[in-house]
Amino acid sequence: MAWFTDRNCFLLAVTFYGLSTIYSVFLWRKGFRRDDWANYLLLAGGVALHTFAMLKRGLTLHSCPVNNLYEATTFLLWALGLASLVYALLPKFKFICAFAAPVLFTVGVFALMPSLDPPHGPKPEFSGALRSLHAATILQAYGAFGLAAVAAVMFLVQQHDLKFHKLRALLSFLPSIQRLEVITTRLVVVGFILLTIGLVAGSQLPRKDGASYFADAKVIWSALLWLIYLEMLVAHKFFGRPARRFALGVIVAFTFLLLTFGITNHFSVLHN
Amino acid sequence: MSVVVIGLSHRSAPVELRERFAFVESRIPDALQQLRDAGLITEGVVLSTCNRVEIYAATAFAPDDAFFARVKQFFIAHHAYDGKLGDELYTFAEPHSLQHLFKVAAGLDSMVIGETEIFGQLKKAYDLAFSHKHTGARLNKAFQRAFNVAKHIRTATNIQRGSVSVMSAAVELAEKIFSTLAEHEVLVIGAGETSEKTARALQSRGVKKITVTNRSPERAQTLAVELGAGAGTVPFEQWPEVFERIDIAVSSTAATSHILDRAKLEPLMRRRRNRPLLLIDIAVPRDIDPAVSELDNVYLYNVDDLKAIADEYLKLRHEELDRCNEIIAGKVAALLAANNHSAAGAS
Repeated sequence: MAWFTDRNCFLLAVTFYGLSTIYSVFLWRKGFRRDDWANYLLLAGGVALHTFAMLKRGLTLHSCPVNNLYEATTFLLWALGLASLVYALLPKFKFICAFAAPVLFTVGVFALMPSLDPPHGPKPEFSGALRSLHAATILQAYGAFGLAAVAAVMFLVQQHDLKFHKLRALLSFLPSIQRLEVITTRLVVVGFILLTIGLVAGSQLPRKDGASYFADAKVIWSALLWLIYLEMLVAHKFFGRPARRFALGVIVAFTFLLLTFGITNHFSVLHN
Repeated sequence: MSVVVIGLSHRSAPVELRERFAFVESRIPDALQQLRDAGLITEGVVLSTCNRVEIYAATAFAPDDAFFARVKQFFIAHHAYDGKLGDELYTFAEPHSLQHLFKVAAGLDSMVIGETEIFGQLKKAYDLAFSHKHTGARLNKAFQRAFNVAKHIRTATNIQRGSVSVMSAAVELAEKIFSTLAEHEVLVIGAGETSEKTARALQSRGVKKITVTNRSPERAQTLAVELGAGAGTVPFEQWPEVFERIDIAVSSTAATSHILDRAKLEPLMRRRRNRPLLLIDIAVPRDIDPAVSELDNVYLYNVDDLKAIADEYLKLRHEELDRCNEIIAGKVAALLAANNHSAAGAS
């Protein structure tokens, strides 16, 4: 049982995400024609192991496991995986798992890099209810943005197939594009609200002397993200930005988030 | 005792002959009684639809040529037919008779493969025979099994999947774009028969509001009345004005040039705040300039696109036939084995 550490447990979860990704490729190639539970079960297995890994780490630390980049990334992925499983229960949404699995797998492999998970000191650096609230809401916001990006990919696939008269659009068990648009928008709204709460909670945290909250690289980056998502929501909801451009924006924004999430931590005084 | 089939269908006989041999529903119990009184059969069911007239029977006779010749004779005499009859009338003995019954129940022998109407018709025919006590253990078992197999095929294969008509393909497309059709208004441009059929197909799937426009306002009004509550009209010159509120437009006018082009639609889309718009152009020559599909959120399908969808679905159904036949062969073998087993037990 010594092998069954939280990291190895997460490794197993990522293996499940990998299997789900491989299965998703087959589903994609078959045009999502059959209502399939196999992929859901694979992803559910991964999320269960993922939850166990986080629980193990949390119990060891006696706090929410969001103290370093590994923990933050696994928390983000957990939020994304869990939300995917919940959304997959909606009619015709089961295939969201096939779209979420590649994200969970690739980012999961990235999170497993040892340098992202340095050993903790005798006490976790990150403790306290407000800090946990700050980290958890922001990471859940990223999870919601991730799932919005997944729904946006589904939207673009369906929209392209319908626009170019591909029979796959009718044969696949995917939701209507209007429904996908609504889900994407709602997830962005949820993520935006969570991000706002997280940023406000962060501003209330005690800081080292001389450290400015609004001059911190991570805070500036988060504020930039906040503005990007705000602009997208306002343009789409109030100025009639076409759904395709909105979906593309959601995907680009989340890709930017994933690619820069780790880097900004290195330049942040408050987060190091 | 074995199950036999004798009859004619769209595959073997033209409509004139099918009409000639059709049974009037009220006379079916009498016809079955005559067959039983003649000692030819012990149980029987008559299926009479526009595409087939068939007698399913259980008989103690060996199902050889002599037996079938006698039943054929009854068939011809009952309808007082004095013309020539060749291969139009077919006969099946076990196991082909059971395979045929199962195929008919599953819609595999129908004109449009996989259609479900025949299932209801077969059930009705069986119920009629059952209520007049013309069925017994053999046919009851065979028909119950046929209904179960048909249901199984429906769920386990893609034989009934998809739209095989232009109108239903249009409706299916609408359902892939919009979450629910009940909340969306439809504009019907041109009050012809095809428009009416498409509008009715959309209504059957939940569309509540329809606006009809036509060069002749009287025809628009007539169609609106026929479509019932929720249908209204708009003068032909004013139809672009309703584009702001509608989400689906079905166009089928006799215009010789495009009545809607990109230049006309672009400002309308801005006024619609880029909500998705499904344009169904079933007119020949086409009413809508294909260039409009370059606009964001505009989905344009013409009659050829819809026909291609229907044809593809039909092709897919044909591809499923082998799987269905495999299922049927297994189920027939199981039924015959069970019958043999119970016959052996009885002796």
